[in-house]
Amino acid sequence: MYRVMIIDDEQKIKNLLKLTIKWEMLGFEVVGEASSGIEAINTIDELNPDVLFVDIRMPFMDGIEFAKLAIERYPYLKIVMLTAFNDFDYARECIGIGVANYLLKPINKIEINDTLMNIKKELDRHAPREERGQLEEVKISSIGKVREYVIEHFKEPELNLTSVALKFGFNASYLSRAFKEETGVSFIDFLNGCRMEYAISLSKENQYMYQVAAEVGIPDPNYFGKCFKKYTGLSFSNYIKENKRD
Amino acid sequence: MKKRLKDQFNDLNLDKKVKYLFIAIILIYLLVFYGIYAFIIQQSMVEYTLESNMNTLKSIGNNLNAEIESIDNMSQLIMTDKEVVAFLKSDEDEFYVKQEAVRAIYDTMNLFNNVSSVFVFQEDYDYVSSGIGVTHINVEKLEELLEDVRPRAGGYYLAINGRGAIRRDIEWPVISLIRVVNDLETQRPIGSIMINLSVDLFDNTYRNMISENKAFGFFGLDGTVLSKQSYHEELDAIEYTGASYQQETIGNEGIVSYQVIENTPFILKSYEKIHFTQVLTDEAGKILAIVFLVSALVIGMIGFFITRYITHPIQRLAGAMKSVNTGWLRRVSLPLANDEIGYLKDSYNDMLVELNELISELLEKEKSIQQAELEVLQEQIKPHFLYNTLDTIAYLALTEPAENVYEAVDTLGKFYRKFLSRGSREIPIKDEVEIVKDYLTLQRLRYGDIFEDIYEVDPELENIRVPKLILQPLVENSLYHGVRLKGEKCIIKIQVFEEEGIVHLVVYDTGIGMDDKRILQIMEGKSRKSFGFKGTIERIQYYFEQKDVVKVTSVVGEYTRVDIKIPKGGKKQNVSSDDY
Repeated sequence: MYRVMIIDDEQKIKNLLKLTIKWEMLGFEVVGEASSGIEAINTIDELNPDVLFVDIRMPFMDGIEFAKLAIERYPYLKIVMLTAFNDFDYARECIGIGVANYLLKPINKIEINDTLMNIKKELDRHAPREERGQLEEVKISSIGKVREYVIEHFKEPELNLTSVALKFGFNASYLSRAFKEETGVSFIDFLNGCRMEYAISLSKENQYMYQVAAEVGIPDPNYFGKCFKKYTGLSFSNYIKENKRD
Repeated sequence: MKKRLKDQFNDLNLDKKVKYLFIAIILIYLLVFYGIYAFIIQQSMVEYTLESNMNTLKSIGNNLNAEIESIDNMSQLIMTDKEVVAFLKSDEDEFYVKQEAVRAIYDTMNLFNNVSSVFVFQEDYDYVSSGIGVTHINVEKLEELLEDVRPRAGGYYLAINGRGAIRRDIEWPVISLIRVVNDLETQRPIGSIMINLSVDLFDNTYRNMISENKAFGFFGLDGTVLSKQSYHEELDAIEYTGASYQQETIGNEGIVSYQVIENTPFILKSYEKIHFTQVLTDEAGKILAIVFLVSALVIGMIGFFITRYITHPIQRLAGAMKSVNTGWLRRVSLPLANDEIGYLKDSYNDMLVELNELISELLEKEKSIQQAELEVLQEQIKPHFLYNTLDTIAYLALTEPAENVYEAVDTLGKFYRKFLSRGSREIPIKDEVEIVKDYLTLQRLRYGDIFEDIYEVDPELENIRVPKLILQPLVENSLYHGVRLKGEKCIIKIQVFEEEGIVHLVVYDTGIGMDDKRILQIMEGKSRKSFGFKGTIERIQYYFEQKDVVKVTSVVGEYTRVDIKIPKGGKKQNVSSDDY
């Protein structure tokens, strides 16, 4: 089973894709989704997909920008662009950055089926995917540096496990494991923690969630909202209200 | 007629006008000259000729009188001659006495001209004579004649051909001067004397006066032609009427006149041609010619000046201006003098520059209107919106009750029907609001419950017509650039109200807002993402022909408010509304 991640800002379209495509029959499973490129950057390492369905028109970071970044970090990824815009410029750009396919909305089952079958063939041919980075043990001292690096750079929205691993020359999954062993928290939680703590500190002066979100490195306030609620147990606005009362 | 001529003249080009003007001036000039000639010069010419003619006649008459005077003297010489007296006193027919008398007469006669013969009569009409021409004396006629001569008491009497008392062997008549001779001592008549003169006498009196323009003739009172050398047929045109003097003009050509010569039974007739040179001397003529030439030269120079410095440059300017083509106005580049015409050219050029600027401005404006409208048309189709909505509805169909799907499809149909409706460029506000409602309903289906839409529309204003699709793009802008970026549930509010005669259409959202820089950016359309917004604002501005028709206010993080202010009466100018 190849892992599929769907990135689209419209929930119903993501749902429609999940519903109408017989993924399992074609040898795929939808392992996760994201509503923006920003969210995807933060969740892709955990989901570890083989195939991405990416909508082009999304706020905060559009599909093409995200696809570029994804191909750079995950060269084995098969990316299918989805768009309602039949725009030659988009198509050319997508092909230029190595996108596997460019499909037009409204979603056509047959087209997607054909695309998935082709992708499966290619994946079958190249599997298993090649590992990048050092496979040797990540040194404990290095983890310290990684932490420092994250603390220093968490405000950059494009930062994620893989980008840090590539930066330090580690294999992402090794780094992930070593980081958890060393620090007791996963890399993702650590990064998120840095951002949320910073958000909490900012919330004392700034009541605008979208501004705080952008400040802490999650310029998608919807995703930031989810993270914040998960972290504090309160929505951002409620959190501000609570704190004011104190 | 007069008006038509005036119009025709006005329609002529400048060159022709000037030409006609000059032709008119020359004609007037000629007319004036002719008038001067006809009414002044000619008049005085006639008067002058009449005057001079009278003087001529007088002077000829005087000449004749002088001649006759000398003949009178001659007669006295003869009658006082002792041989002649001796003859007159002799009773007998004495040959010797007669011979001596004839000799004396002959001698005297030779001293005078024009005398053809001399007769000296005794009381009994015995006579002596000398000279030629007379062949016979009619005594009876002579007696009759002498009856008329005697009362003159020694004065002479003139008669033509001796009033028939003489017979002649020559064709031409003779003039007879007759007088009675008295005895010196007794003062009793002792005889009479008759001197016959040839008509050469007359010719001599005017010999010096004859020219091709003048003719003279002597006539008897009964019309007998006396003078033979100078004769003109026009002399017959005047007849003796009893007056001693008379002049007549023959048109302006000439005059005929006669004069009865004092103390004689002769009439002097004359014909004189009226001639220019009679009044106008050669010098005066030359001066006149010079004046005429100078005038012609001056007129010519004025004409040349007008043509060279006014007409021609204007024509060239006009020609250059005419070559304006293909909508663009070309500057005139002509070497023109630095005078008013040059100034005209410069002003024209300056004007052209401004005109061209205006034209290009207009073209630019027209282009942006068309561009904006094209964008609206493209926006109208909104395929991406339709496709995404279709996918959304497809999902609903799979997961939700049929009514929801029906509602969604119904709304979609309603939205597109209004959205794509052709025909009218303007629609009532209520339809515009309906479009927004349907649009937001569909968008809520797509993006979930991320906003609340509120409508506050004054029902009295619902039917005011506004350009189509001015609210929907603004609402779309609110959704994509305000609400969705905020991550929190927002309000989108449509307000239509009237304030001081101005109708306000307000699109208000509590999205992320924008700072002044961003407002400026989207108002000027510099951001690619906002061209729908900018295009809409432009359309509103062009439609109402006012710049300040749209006002955007915003507080970052709080709200954005787009206020469209339109005059309640609608558009100022009535632009055709059903072209589309």
